[in-house]
Amino acid sequence: MGMKGKDWRNLCIGVAFITPNILGFLAFSAIPLVISFFMAFTDWNLALHNIFRNEPLKFVGFDNFVRLFGERDFLQYLGNTLFLMIGIPFGVAGSLGAALLLNCDFKAGGSRRVWLIVLLTVIMVVAVSILTLFGMGASAMSILIASVFGLVLVAGGIGGQSVYRTLFYFPCFTAGVATFILWKKLYSPENGPINHAIQPVLDVITPWASSLTPGHAALAAQVVLALTLVVTLWGFYRKLRDWRDGEVGTLSLFIGLVLLTLPLLLVWSWSPWRWSHWVFTAVAVLGWLTTFGVLIKGRSYEAVLDRGMADAVILDGLLMVIGFAFIGGANVLADLPAMAGTETGLMAPKWLADYYWAKPALLIMGFWAAIGSNNMLLYLAGLSGIPQELYEAADIDGATPFQRFWNITWPQLANVTFFILVMSIIGGLQGGFEMARTMTDNGGPAGATTTLSYYIYSEGFDTGRLGYASAVSWTLFAMVFVVTMFNWKFGNRYTQE
Amino acid sequence: MAEKTLVNRGIRLLILQIVLALVAGTLVLPFTWMLLASLKTLEEIGLDSWLPRVFQWHNYQDVFNMKGILFGRWYWNSIFVAAWVTFLQVFTSSLAAFSFSRLEWKGRDQIFFLYLATMMLPGLVMMIPNYQNMIMFGLVDTYPGLILPSAFSAFGTFLMRQFMMSIPKSLDEAAEIDGASKWQLYWDVVMPLARPAVVTLTIFSFMGNYNSMFWPLVMMKSLDKYTLPIGMLAFDSSQGQQTNLLMAAVAMSVIPMIIIFVFMQKQLVKGIMLGGVKG
Repeated sequence: MGMKGKDWRNLCIGVAFITPNILGFLAFSAIPLVISFFMAFTDWNLALHNIFRNEPLKFVGFDNFVRLFGERDFLQYLGNTLFLMIGIPFGVAGSLGAALLLNCDFKAGGSRRVWLIVLLTVIMVVAVSILTLFGMGASAMSILIASVFGLVLVAGGIGGQSVYRTLFYFPCFTAGVATFILWKKLYSPENGPINHAIQPVLDVITPWASSLTPGHAALAAQVVLALTLVVTLWGFYRKLRDWRDGEVGTLSLFIGLVLLTLPLLLVWSWSPWRWSHWVFTAVAVLGWLTTFGVLIKGRSYEAVLDRGMADAVILDGLLMVIGFAFIGGANVLADLPAMAGTETGLMAPKWLADYYWAKPALLIMGFWAAIGSNNMLLYLAGLSGIPQELYEAADIDGATPFQRFWNITWPQLANVTFFILVMSIIGGLQGGFEMARTMTDNGGPAGATTTLSYYIYSEGFDTGRLGYASAVSWTLFAMVFVVTMFNWKFGNRYTQE
Repeated sequence: MAEKTLVNRGIRLLILQIVLALVAGTLVLPFTWMLLASLKTLEEIGLDSWLPRVFQWHNYQDVFNMKGILFGRWYWNSIFVAAWVTFLQVFTSSLAAFSFSRLEWKGRDQIFFLYLATMMLPGLVMMIPNYQNMIMFGLVDTYPGLILPSAFSAFGTFLMRQFMMSIPKSLDEAAEIDGASKWQLYWDVVMPLARPAVVTLTIFSFMGNYNSMFWPLVMMKSLDKYTLPIGMLAFDSSQGQQTNLLMAAVAMSVIPMIIIFVFMQKQLVKGIMLGGVKG
């Protein structure tokens, strides 16, 4: 009744244009989605239901989901997925650093540019000749490496920002099976260039390390851990202060605590060293206790429940990074004398073939690709959008470069950072399949690099437990959904503020 | 005073250049090793030195003649599949985007919103039922089975729509007065103006597909229908100990990416900003 002839006509034309896309969407997304949802509640298993043996499909209710959380494998793979996401704050920091470097003032006009190139060439020649004269081992190698850097330097001197941007972006946009295979070869324990470079250094360190008594090493490690404790507590303190001042809401406080305790749990599962366990238990318990204590005592402070969410997430991400650097250092220190004391001395890690080193190896590769990634480009766009007047005002006030960064650049980029973090988390939850398949021999060693996405693949296509695999994928979907909703609610609000 | 600041500026610039070169050089080192390793003999691979004694250029030719490694064929398949997917994606996305941005019809925005919501669905959830459907329709191990599921993109529709929204509406009205049909409006007026978005989507779609591994891995069974990513996987697992040839293959397989990047750099950067900041 409401629809006139013209409306109908418009509707028909409008729908006609979207038909090809919608048909494909129905066939390859919507219908499979519905099927997948029902599959998650059945015992569909290719061992039971195939052309030779066709038992009726049974609905098993929530059995698949219940079994999932009881299964050790699932929990381990969930842990792996989360562990690999530790790389996210590092990657974000790296891409921000790259963007800041690229954003520096490059303009060297006219004759000055010529001078710069001449100077750079001289530096390069001097560097190469020093290396050749004093011979750092194989001289051909040093010349080679020096000339790679020298070439980059000279090319950058001529081409400026665009050359560096291209080189930075290179690892990211070629990333795929090809570069994963390349890195597998780089990590090769016997023939790979990484271990070829590390081993001589380790040989030098060995006598020194074996002269350390275990007591000293443990002491040093404890000092490092104490530093971690201080940093983390400072983080708690700062968060509480912000909360009291009404700058962050209660909800953000909790988000922060979860973010700070999560890595502790992960490290717990990864590092067998008892001291780190103690420190982390202390941090976690203290943190949670203070939070609850303040919450109960400090009800009178009024702050919007979910204020300052993005700030909170970013600060905690930062603390997480620092915490991890310290933890890694402490663990290495504690193990040093024992490792150096063996017959062979310190050995370069076996990387992808070693249960403990496989995940860090993937993280390092991820960092390499993340520095010059799309995130860097987003940051560059964000940097160009910051009003110059802010910097001019800061210059008049005599701000140091660090103050300029911390008080202007960082807050102005907060929503870009938040967006990047959320997108990386969503990607990270679903990630790891290609690396597990290409680099670590199907998620090995002993499942150390099997992520949820690889688990779904192997359950669905190798084992043939289709119902169970669907349940896993819907669990994964639920996690992605939560993060997306989080972004939707707080991301928008933050940009409006 | 002025001279001093000039010198200071020069030094600052120099330090900046050196820091940048150090970072960029480190990032490029793996590729340097790859190129040099691809020119070595097999015996030289395990040596400390990165440099081959004699450059073995024939390694690149040898890759094409290896037994069980149909490198040329895989290369062609990859480009063929990626081209088809790209063409279909651009075509269906632009049609839908045209409807969502420039035609008025009841329920349009609701359907668009629903459509957008699917962008966050993890592809993994759909993979298993999709594969079962492919078995049912007998499309396993065929190109249509490989191409069709990737041919419809919600992201592409979104990207195109955002761009088409920015084209002035008055053009449509002018064209309608001249008696243009909706199709003519789409094809002759909007599409030529939406060229930047089309180029961006083309790059994204091609790159994404050229690199995609999951679906080909599941779908393709016969060696001569492999695409490069799963071909490389097969290469690595069957004859991966021939590192020099493997590296030559890796080097060749990233060439299309490099070509696209070098020629389309500006577009790509713009596209990421268009898709990212809004997305």
